[in-house]
Amino acid sequence: MPIYSFYIFDRHCECIYVKQWLERERERSSFRPQTANSTISSPATLSEKRVSTPIDAPTNARPPHGRLSVQDDAKLVFGVVFSLRNMVRKLSGPDDNFISYRTSSYKLHYYETPTNLKFVMLTDIRMDNLRVALHQIYINLYVEFVTKNPLSPVEHKGGEGVACELFELGLERFVQTIQDV
Amino acid sequence: MSSTKAARIGEEVWKTRIDKVNAELVTLTYGSIVAQLCKDFEGDYMEVNKQLDKMGYNIGLRLIEDFLAKTNTGRCANFRETAETISKIGFKVFLNITPTVTNWTSDNKQFSLIFDENPLADFVELPDDGRAQNELWYSNILCGVLRGALEMVQMQVDAHFASDVLRGNDTTEMRVTLIRMIDDELPPGDD
Repeated sequence: MPIYSFYIFDRHCECIYVKQWLERERERSSFRPQTANSTISSPATLSEKRVSTPIDAPTNARPPHGRLSVQDDAKLVFGVVFSLRNMVRKLSGPDDNFISYRTSSYKLHYYETPTNLKFVMLTDIRMDNLRVALHQIYINLYVEFVTKNPLSPVEHKGGEGVACELFELGLERFVQTIQDV
Repeated sequence: MSSTKAARIGEEVWKTRIDKVNAELVTLTYGSIVAQLCKDFEGDYMEVNKQLDKMGYNIGLRLIEDFLAKTNTGRCANFRETAETISKIGFKVFLNITPTVTNWTSDNKQFSLIFDENPLADFVELPDDGRAQNELWYSNILCGVLRGALEMVQMQVDAHFASDVLRGNDTTEMRVTLIRMIDDELPPGDD
């Protein structure tokens, strides 16, 4: 089942890592009946297989959105999870947290560490809960390859030090295994 | 989390999930760092204490992530639980010691860790220059580690040594004080 995108936010509310799998998105979109606003039919915007974080990259082919930059997307995602998390905590106590939510076209999975790192993944709506998978990404990839890398900075301002090769490779491989389930 | 539960987790994690390293390697590596600092700052032990604390702080900021990943512990409900977790799980998994938690103040914001053993200070004798005995906190890096690690889980603390067997005191005691809980940062407003 397709995975659309993956975000990490740090304790300063900054997006320190984005990964989007655009090819997957297109596959998904092609299942859907075409709407009048068919951004997906424009080959130019989708020629790139995947985009890490170039500015102004057209990201989501979700028609209602139009085109947002990767940064704008990340900001929106952060806004949603931040508000939702705070709402959940107000309603049922500081230890509670939301796990995922879904719309008619995607499902958002959420995991937050006690150090306030937030891991977010957007997937197909049929995907099972990925909280465990996000936790795995944290302990097996983020801590091992980013935190423990002695030469990477402690705070990842502007995402510095996160997108290292080992982390990227590990993530790519891990996501592949989830998708193939 | 009760004290016994913390002890059990600490023991379990230490046995199964921790790569062990020769203790003397750690002792000697740490010793050469302190010795080099003493040389670099020409016996200004106050400055050496400060540098050790700073190094520890930077270690703590990272170590907490490794701690959380290995032990899978959640947020502590109160500072007493935090103290137990530090002693029975934190020190256990990283140094294989469990300092005693004691001397709580009545507001539950201050406690002491008493170190019966301290792998960093094996073989150590402070220089006999008449000052080191009064000024140098040999294991001060540990204070920094606690400060850095707790800051990442939203607790601002002060940690300092109150006594050290290396100085001729009866015990090695670290005093830890909770200053405040750090609020979550809010995202910057859209401009």
